[in-house]
Amino acid sequence: MQLIVTAICKDYGTIAAVRQVSFQINSGDIFALLGPNGAGKSSIIRMLVGMTKPDSGSILVSHQDEHYDHVPRRLLGYLPEDRGLYPDKSIEKNLLYLAQLHGLSKQKALQEMAHWLEVFELSDRRNEDLKQLSKGNQQKVQLIAAVLHQPALVILDEPFSGLDPINQEKVVTFLKALKARGMTVILSAHQMAMVEKLADHMLLMAQGKAILAGTLADIKQQAGPQRQMVISCTGPVVAEQLQQWLPELEIDVQSTTRFVLKLTAAQNVSAILQQLVSQIELTQVEMQTADLHQLYLTAMAEHQLREQA
Amino acid sequence: MISRQSMIVAKWEFLRFFKWKQQLISYLLMMAVMAAVALWSYFTDESRKVYRIAVPAEFSISNTEQFQFQRPTIALDEQLAQLKADESWHGVITLNTTGSDQHSVVLHTLAAKKWQQQLETELADYFRQQYATKLQLTPAQLAQLQQPLTIDYAYLDENFKGKDTPEKMIALGVLILLFIGLSTAFGQVLLSITGEKQQRVTEQLYAIVTPQQWMDGKVLGHSLSAMKAMLTSALVMLLVFIVVSVVVREDGVNLGWLNWGVVAWLVPFALLGVLLSACFMGAIAASIDDPNTSGKGAVMMITWLPMLFTYLVIDSPTGTAMMILSWLPLTSFAAMPVKMAMVDLPWWQPALSLILLVAAVWWMRRVAGRIFLRGMQMYGKEPSWGQIVGWALSNKAD
Repeated sequence: MQLIVTAICKDYGTIAAVRQVSFQINSGDIFALLGPNGAGKSSIIRMLVGMTKPDSGSILVSHQDEHYDHVPRRLLGYLPEDRGLYPDKSIEKNLLYLAQLHGLSKQKALQEMAHWLEVFELSDRRNEDLKQLSKGNQQKVQLIAAVLHQPALVILDEPFSGLDPINQEKVVTFLKALKARGMTVILSAHQMAMVEKLADHMLLMAQGKAILAGTLADIKQQAGPQRQMVISCTGPVVAEQLQQWLPELEIDVQSTTRFVLKLTAAQNVSAILQQLVSQIELTQVEMQTADLHQLYLTAMAEHQLREQA
Repeated sequence: MISRQSMIVAKWEFLRFFKWKQQLISYLLMMAVMAAVALWSYFTDESRKVYRIAVPAEFSISNTEQFQFQRPTIALDEQLAQLKADESWHGVITLNTTGSDQHSVVLHTLAAKKWQQQLETELADYFRQQYATKLQLTPAQLAQLQQPLTIDYAYLDENFKGKDTPEKMIALGVLILLFIGLSTAFGQVLLSITGEKQQRVTEQLYAIVTPQQWMDGKVLGHSLSAMKAMLTSALVMLLVFIVVSVVVREDGVNLGWLNWGVVAWLVPFALLGVLLSACFMGAIAASIDDPNTSGKGAVMMITWLPMLFTYLVIDSPTGTAMMILSWLPLTSFAAMPVKMAMVDLPWWQPALSLILLVAAVWWMRRVAGRIFLRGMQMYGKEPSWGQIVGWALSNKAD
C-alpha cells in the first residue's frame, strides 16, 4: 500500500484546518503526524478515512494496482480521536461484533482476539463489561478492535493519550508488532519520546501547515544541528555572572550549580570550556544533541515567530 | 438488497434490547396483577349477597335473588334504630306521596353501596308495573312500551361490509398493535442512535460500514423489536380472548370470526408501516446530538399520527378522508388495512397502495442514511431543520 497526499486543504467555515499539506507513506512504514491540539492532524486523518473530502489537493491510495481517493474500509483499521465502544457489553462481545462487521468469521475473530488479549494481558477479563475496565484498559480494547481483522493500513488518532508510561511502552511494542506483520501505520501523537522510538517518517504540523517532514534524521537536519552542553560546578554560580562570561549563548538554569548551555553550529566547544574553566571549577561536563521533543518545541517557537512576523 | 453488515447490525440491535428474562418476568407480573384484580373483584362482589330491605306495608314487591323485601310491623324510628345498631336491615324504604299519584321513595342506609343501583332498578320496575296496572295496561302492552327502538341499517354500497363487523375489530386491533410496536421502536431508536453518538461509537463504525448499511441495520433491528412487541401483545390479546371465552362465557374457543384473507393483507402493511416509521425515527434521532438538550425527539411522535387520523375516520370507511389516508404512503399502513377490513376493495387498490408504501420506505431509508452521515460530519453541532430538509431532498451520494 502506498499513500500520496498532495497539497490538501480543508476549511471548516472560516477556520483553515489544513493548508497545503503534502506527504507520502510507503507500505510497511510507521508514519507519525505530530503537532499541538488544533494543528490539523485529526482533520487529515478524517480525510484519509473518507469521512470528509479535501477542498483542494488530492489523496491517492494505491493497493495491489488499485487506486482510491481515500483508504477503503476493507483495508482500514481505525482508532478515532472520539472513541468509545458499548460499555454495557463484554470485551468479547464488543470485539466479536466489530470483527464480524469487518467480515471475519466467528472462529477467526476469536482466534485473533485471543492473541491480542494475551498481548495486552486482558485474557482473563474478556467476559467483563467494558464499563468495569479502567480507561487505559478500555483504550487497549479499542486498539485491539482496530487491528483484529489484520488491515493493510492502521490509522490511530492519539493512541497514547490516557495511558500511563508502562502502557505507553506496551503500545509502542504493539505498534512494532503491527509493523512486523506488514501493516502500514499512521498515528498522531504528542508523546515525542514514544514517536521517536518507532516512527519511520513523521510530519510536524502547526495551525494546519506542515513545518517539518521526513525521517528523524531528516528532521534533525532540517532543524539545523542543535547541541547543548550540561555543566555542573562545585559551588553556586549566579546566572547573570555566567551570562556575562558567555554572552553569545542561551543558558537554561537548572540549579545554582547546574546549567544547560545551548550551542549553535558555529560555536566552538573548546573555547567555551576554556572560558568556563578560567572562571569556575567544573565537576561534570556532558554534551547532548537535541531530541525530537526539543526539535518540536524549537520548530513550534520558530513557526510562531514567523506567523507573528 | 440488505448487506451482510446491515444484517449483523440488525442482529446486534435486536439482541441488545431483547432481555427475555425481564420480559418473561414482566408478563408473569402482568398475569399476577390480572389474577389479583379478578380475585379482588370476586371477593368484594356485593351482588352475590342477599340484602334485607324493609318496605312499607302497602308494598307488594316480590323478593328477588338479591333482595328480600319484608314489611315490619314496628315503627319507622325503631326500624332505623335497628338498621343503625345491628344491621337487622340493609336498607329501609319509606314512601312520600307528593301529589295525587306522585310518589317519591326514600332509601335509608348506613352509607352508599354498590348494590343500591340494582335495588333502584328493581324499584323502578315495580313502580312501572304499578302504573301499568293503574292504567289497565295488559302485560303485552307494557312489554311493547318497554321495548327499545331497533333500527336495522340497509347499505346500498355493496362493497361496504357493515358497521360493526368482526373485521372492524381486527382493524382496531391492528391499530392498537401498531401503536404498541411504534412506541417500542420510538424508545429504542432514540436510545440506540443518540446513545452510540454519546458513547463515541459512530466514528469507529463509520470506518467499518457505510452510513447507509449502519442505518439499514438499525432500522431493521428495531423494526424486528417492534414486531416482536406486536406479536407478543397479539398473543396476549388472543390468550385473554380464549380465557374469557372458555372460563367466563363457557363458550369454548371459536376463531371463526377471524377473516384470514384480511389478516393476510394486514401483515405486510403493518410490517412496512413499522419499517417506514423506524426509518423516520432513525433520521430524526441521527440529527440529535444530545437528547437531554435537543427538542427534536418529540418530532418522532409524528409516527403515531397515522393511527390517530385513521381512528378518527374509522366510522366513515368510504369517505374522502379515509380515501386520502389509504393512498398517502405516510398514512396508508394504518388506513388501508382498516378500510380493507370494512369495505370490499378490488385487489389492485391495496396492491398499489402497498407498492407506494414500499417506495416510501425505500426513500425514507435513504434519507435516514444521508442525515446520519451529514449529521456526523458536523462533529457535535446539531443541524438545523433547514439543513435536515436540504439533506433529505438532496440526491447527493454518500
